[in-house]
Amino acid sequence: MMKARLVAATVLIGLAVTGASAQTPTTRIVSAATSFLSKLDDNQRQRVQFAFNDEEQRKRWSNLPVSMVPRAGLSMKDLTPPQHAALMALLTATLSPRGVEKVQQIMEGDELLNAGQGGRGGGPGGRGGRGPGGGGLMFGKDLYFVSILGTPSVKDPWMLQFGGHHLALNITIDGERGILTPTLTGAQPSLYTLNGKTYRPLGAESDKGLALLNALDENQRKQAILGFRLADLVLGPGQDGKTIQPEGLKASAMNEKQRAMLLDIVSEWAGILHESAAATRMAQIKGEINDTWFAWSGPVTAAPSGNIASYYRIQGPHLVIEYAPQTMGGDASLHVHTMYRDPTNDYGRKPAAK
Amino acid sequence: MTLRLAIALLAVTAFPACGHRLDEYLQNTLLSVEKTELRAQMVLTPGVAVFPLLMAVIDSNGDGVISEAEQRAYTARVLHDLSLSIDGVRLSPAVTSLVFPALAEMKEGSGEIKIEFRAALPEGGGDRNLVFENHHQDSISAWQVNCLISRDPDLQIRSQLRNYTQSVYQLRYTQAGARAGNLFFASFPASQALPGVVALFLIARLFFLIRQRLARN
Repeated sequence: MMKARLVAATVLIGLAVTGASAQTPTTRIVSAATSFLSKLDDNQRQRVQFAFNDEEQRKRWSNLPVSMVPRAGLSMKDLTPPQHAALMALLTATLSPRGVEKVQQIMEGDELLNAGQGGRGGGPGGRGGRGPGGGGLMFGKDLYFVSILGTPSVKDPWMLQFGGHHLALNITIDGERGILTPTLTGAQPSLYTLNGKTYRPLGAESDKGLALLNALDENQRKQAILGFRLADLVLGPGQDGKTIQPEGLKASAMNEKQRAMLLDIVSEWAGILHESAAATRMAQIKGEINDTWFAWSGPVTAAPSGNIASYYRIQGPHLVIEYAPQTMGGDASLHVHTMYRDPTNDYGRKPAAK
Repeated sequence: MTLRLAIALLAVTAFPACGHRLDEYLQNTLLSVEKTELRAQMVLTPGVAVFPLLMAVIDSNGDGVISEAEQRAYTARVLHDLSLSIDGVRLSPAVTSLVFPALAEMKEGSGEIKIEFRAALPEGGGDRNLVFENHHQDSISAWQVNCLISRDPDLQIRSQLRNYTQSVYQLRYTQAGARAGNLFFASFPASQALPGVVALFLIARLFFLIRQRLARN
């Protein structure tokens, strides 16, 4: 009897262990995606799903509001509360907690823009609301779209897209691989107060960039600081697969501490995705760190607790990051666009290494 | 500068927080160098506040519509305002592709005019010096110029120099296996040129002797 109980316990523990090990990030994401799709009606499912190789849909993203560059898929306003919750569960399974937070803060900023509070500290100063020409709404949390390219699978590649104004997450899930390129983040206002709390959606990107610049010695700064103005992203939407000549300071000319700071900046983008995918990506970038460049253009200081009004770029063999403040309508530190790319692996096109 | 200031003030007061370009005409150029030609992609994005100024230039007959003829004429004007040279030799760009956005998009500040052009490159030495100047709509423009890394391992970029506004851009690159000129001998290194001359002389002499012998027979 005792022996039988022991065998049964062993089998149960074995099953539990097997079950736990089967719960990989990909299985969790696929399960959440399947659950989200199951909550949609036929018409909604038709609108949200695209063929995996649908090039037009892959490239249908922008830093611009949806009234200017229409997105496809389902918008947040198209969803019922249970569907909305299922979508949030899908994003939570796919992104890191920090990634989810970043996305929410970008969307909250857009909501403030919609309410006409695009000024410093979220105060008045915006002209949100309807698009030019009296068209549809231009800003706000409702105007973020989700689409799924291919069929959620633990084995075959598929894509999850989520975005709107200042946000374009292009996430390819290919087995256990998670690829986040190309991805655009942005914020306006990039500093605001909500319910008495101050938010800077891309504040860490700003702070860490400036911290690295300040950690460079005079000679390194001379190499890193470009002597010309950069008004916008160089490799923004529509510039997939392009590799420009790198400029600035090569990380091989940095010390260990500075290289660690550079990697920490990169983690602000790579770390949007769940921990396992982010770790794989960071290992790749760390392995190529000596061939990675850091370039800066613009003011070398920022207001206390404020964002930089400067452009910077990090470029490696499989990486392009651009942080580009915008001068549209005034203070460049309050409006930023950023781009995160692997020009060799847009939309996870590169086959997985065997 | 006064025009820039006036446009900036107008943009700040009229469009305090918009999600699109306002008071500048962004001109983003990506160059791609190959052995025999230069290719370029220009993406021109007029801001909302400067669009009326640009529309007056593009819409030459003032009918409020941008016709295909006006698109072509404007593109020619853009190219005319560029200056391109390599090793001091002026280049002649030719348009290979032109995409104009809808007028409504341009009015909103989201419209992108996309011009692609190519220019044949004359043969030159191993060290090449390309200069690209853009003076199109100087008073309202913001320029960006970069060169793509070539897939041809024979072409290696050495340096990129720009003025502060990026209206003037200089690219220095090396081209392995390049000829110094059009002369046949110039494709050989100097150390190999003399043996080459001697070899050609001996071949010519041999032909001459064979012809003489054939003539005697």
